[in-house]
Amino acid sequence: MGWILLFSGMAGTGTACAETDVGPSQASASQAAETPSAETPSAETRSAESRSSENRNCLRCHQMATLAYRNPENGEIVDLAIAPQALSHSVHGELACSDCHDSDFGQYPHPERLKGETLACVGCHEEHDDAAERVYRFKTIDEEFKHSIHVTSDAPEVAGFSCHSCHDPHAFRNSEIGEEIAQIVRQDNGICLSCHAEIQDPLRDPHTWLPKPEKHREAVRCLDCHTPLSEDGQAVSHRILAGKDSNRDCVKCHSKAPQLLNRLYQYRSETDLANKGWISKAVFNEAYVVGMSRSPLIDRSALAIIAITLLGLGAHGYGRYRAYRRSKENRT
Amino acid sequence: MNPLQNLLSTPTKRRVLIAALALLTLTLAYKLVYPPVFDAYVGKTNAQLTYESSKPLTNAEFEGLAQDLTKEARYRTAAAIVESDQDAFARQVKIEMLMGTDSVVRDAEPPHIKYFRDAGIRRYEGPKTCLTCHAAIKIDHPDGSVSTVNTLDDIVNSVHFKFQSESGGFSTYGYDGRRVNSGPHKIPVGKIDRACGIPGSFTWTGWAALIEASPEHAAAGVTQLRSEGCGQCHIGGNYQPATEKMMPIGDVPAEAKEGIDCLICHSTNYDMNQRVVIKDEHGLRWDQDRSLRAALTVGPIRSENCLRCHQHNMGGDAYAHNAAAQASGYKHQRILHRGAKRGNPFSPQDDAHAAAGLQCTDCHRPQGHKIPRGRKGVDLVANDLPGQEVSCESCHSRAPHNNSEHKVLLNGHIERLACETCHIEKLESDNVVLRDWVHPTWNAEEGIWEPTDVYRSGAPGKGFTFLWFNGNGTFLANALGNNPNGSEVYNPLMQQVARIDDPEIIAAVRAKAVELKQQYPDIDVETYVRTATDPLSQLPPALLAKREAMIQENLRGAMNQGESRLYPFKLFNAMMFEDMSNQGPFGAMILPFDYKTYYETGDSKAAVVKAVQDPIVQRMYQEPFKLYMMDEFMSYFGITSGWKTIYPVVDGKLVNVEPHWMRQMGTLMVNHGIQGKGRECKDCHSPNGIMDFAMLGYTPERVAELQNVDVVEHLAAGNTDTPAVSQK
Repeated sequence: MGWILLFSGMAGTGTACAETDVGPSQASASQAAETPSAETPSAETRSAESRSSENRNCLRCHQMATLAYRNPENGEIVDLAIAPQALSHSVHGELACSDCHDSDFGQYPHPERLKGETLACVGCHEEHDDAAERVYRFKTIDEEFKHSIHVTSDAPEVAGFSCHSCHDPHAFRNSEIGEEIAQIVRQDNGICLSCHAEIQDPLRDPHTWLPKPEKHREAVRCLDCHTPLSEDGQAVSHRILAGKDSNRDCVKCHSKAPQLLNRLYQYRSETDLANKGWISKAVFNEAYVVGMSRSPLIDRSALAIIAITLLGLGAHGYGRYRAYRRSKENRT
Repeated sequence: MNPLQNLLSTPTKRRVLIAALALLTLTLAYKLVYPPVFDAYVGKTNAQLTYESSKPLTNAEFEGLAQDLTKEARYRTAAAIVESDQDAFARQVKIEMLMGTDSVVRDAEPPHIKYFRDAGIRRYEGPKTCLTCHAAIKIDHPDGSVSTVNTLDDIVNSVHFKFQSESGGFSTYGYDGRRVNSGPHKIPVGKIDRACGIPGSFTWTGWAALIEASPEHAAAGVTQLRSEGCGQCHIGGNYQPATEKMMPIGDVPAEAKEGIDCLICHSTNYDMNQRVVIKDEHGLRWDQDRSLRAALTVGPIRSENCLRCHQHNMGGDAYAHNAAAQASGYKHQRILHRGAKRGNPFSPQDDAHAAAGLQCTDCHRPQGHKIPRGRKGVDLVANDLPGQEVSCESCHSRAPHNNSEHKVLLNGHIERLACETCHIEKLESDNVVLRDWVHPTWNAEEGIWEPTDVYRSGAPGKGFTFLWFNGNGTFLANALGNNPNGSEVYNPLMQQVARIDDPEIIAAVRAKAVELKQQYPDIDVETYVRTATDPLSQLPPALLAKREAMIQENLRGAMNQGESRLYPFKLFNAMMFEDMSNQGPFGAMILPFDYKTYYETGDSKAAVVKAVQDPIVQRMYQEPFKLYMMDEFMSYFGITSGWKTIYPVVDGKLVNVEPHWMRQMGTLMVNHGIQGKGRECKDCHSPNGIMDFAMLGYTPERVAELQNVDVVEHLAAGNTDTPAVSQK
């Protein structure tokens, strides 16, 4: 089964972008160590108690939901708040703050020398014992990301684009089978839209060529069209494509075997499939197949026509039977 | 066949004719019979209104006035340019030079001079004159749409005119747990029908009064007439508030609409000295400035226009920068109230926004004549635009601090604290907290009896306190909200606003009681102090228990709604006479005072008797009024058994009426008088801080944490460069 990183804890709107170029003044609350320092004890070696007491200390300030400041360089609001609930449910929930952050961050005001520190994910994750066993290795992610439009573009907006621009390490967790697809789509697209505000402006939205762009936005992830199809079992690539290189072929989704859309459908739960799924999975695949109807009204009318036809046939048969009985009675 | 026979020729035609006649009769009855019948029923007067200041000018006089006004405008422009210049004489010379320069002369003439000149208008006659050109106005709505409305209808149906509203969207909850007017039975609510302990009366009984004052500096027996009453701040110019608007049918009569004072809001040159009570053959009413001088200087609304009235309830009449209070009348001078209603003024001297040149309407953005007061409301209730936000965040964003080294931490506080909590350090020192209307005090200088302000203070914890607030309020103006931890402990209606524990306040109240006892020997000092500082002690045990149960059952829901933050609230309580037939766990119906009797004689009982005999108060104690609104009103008041129509005056004596402090203090939002610099951390985060964290529903561990924030020690010491907190 394909393995995908989907991220469910987006920081506030506009934050993801703002984080990328906050410069040296940032009191880096949302950065993970570029290379894990040797002195940092691993999560396992530290007692849960000391970890939780350390985190409590940091969260004393960082759990304030409005902990933020405006970056004087661009006026953007930089969100430094960490939702304790989201953190403990995130993939990093077991870690102590200082596993990634310099332990001197425990001081307030945070020491000046720490403020320029930049942190990244790949190094740490590739050093994990099970790194090689992963279906979707961080190495691969890194490779793909290097070719992403967010890296290759010259646009000033993407200067300093990093993992954290989209993924909040304090809330990040994988989407799970069984989560509602609409919810996954909403969260996922929220990340993109937090920077790509022009998409919500009807005067500047480049998706006007799409029939019912709003419906598309509710039903599929931006990524489903804006990443190349990868064959090796992983569902979505981290190589984000430029608009001009992205999929414009309707049939890639609207067909019986929608290659693009299948990546999204892996999140439907087994029970969901078992309960109501086999027809829609086998026949409709919950997708609008070109030439087929997903309109409940048309579907119901079609069912009604079939039912009426069946009734007609039954009535005809019954009539024939009655006629046969009568002629038999007459004969006797 | 004559036409009449033709009309009656067939049954159908006859029926049509009968229907038409019936409709005509009904219309005539509604237009001609209903208004005088209603007026007679509520005992109100309507008559043609005339104003002395509305004088016709000859063409020559008009041009002379135009010249004066243009010159004044040029002076203002020139003076603004050299405002910060050198010494007074040099400035004067420059102003005179500038006044003659073309760029200052150009467009200096107030635009209405040309309009009036061209239209041949040589006399200002009130709304009639304005409506000549402004019969309809365009309204810009926040959603970008534009609508055109009839100007007169727009103003007549605004809270400024009728001071009540019955539309939905109230954030006020009755003590019965229902949101006001959320059900099918809607009643008019607002200042018009809510007696209040600050003014001691309400609009029906306290609209306009001429008081005969006997100041000590005047010769014996010589009296001065002084003006008093709610009408001074309300734009209806007739003999009473717009009572007609309280009924589901009927409208304010045309002559009353002619009394609307357009210029008090729209003129830049309105003479507040004209705003005094006058007496004519029909009764008392408020005069206004209807001079051409005021009319010709109509201009865009600025804060000064709003503050002609609103500084009265914000800074107060005694506030040094209340311009209107300094123009109290050429005759019949308005009585200036000591003891500020709210005590946080909006003026460049005391408010950062006013100092920055912001106008009231920058935040309270009007839609036509409807002016938003925001979605959060504790007092007054009436709201023209309940859905429209008026908030700090709409300009300041959610990360407003940019100056401080600790801006991030300061911004972090916004989740729990309203901006006002830190940025209003204190209220004016004459902010009144406890007012005794029952035992008036003689003011020798003014020569009148005044309510006794038992306690005044603008200090945090004394004149105002901090409460959780989610935008909801009770029917008697108590802020609702709860600690976001969902505390069951936080219960302001049994604690913060229902008792005063501060020994300093108690001592001050005792001192005042001792002083009052000299005048009123019946006063028992201990009882006086107890009831003033522990008003719940006035409730019988059964009612007290019912009160606690009602808070839990009816109000917890409204308290726990939404996201509460800590807001500052001005506290206020008053001792008034109460109709004990209508007592519930949250108080009894307070009875108004007749200002003239009260101020002149100091006989508070006689003043109540007089006010209660007002025709509309008598109607209040009758069955139709009970069914129309009073039962519903009492239910919101926490009395579910309905309104008892036992008239409290028999043979000129009060029956079943007792003096009491209201059972809890009212809490009034304070949002102005904003200081650029907020509080220090230590003001709150110390064991003796201004916030009682325990009473605010924090757990003991959290209280200890909040009172003793180690970071604060270092910040306060200015030791911010060295790391202050270590977790190791």
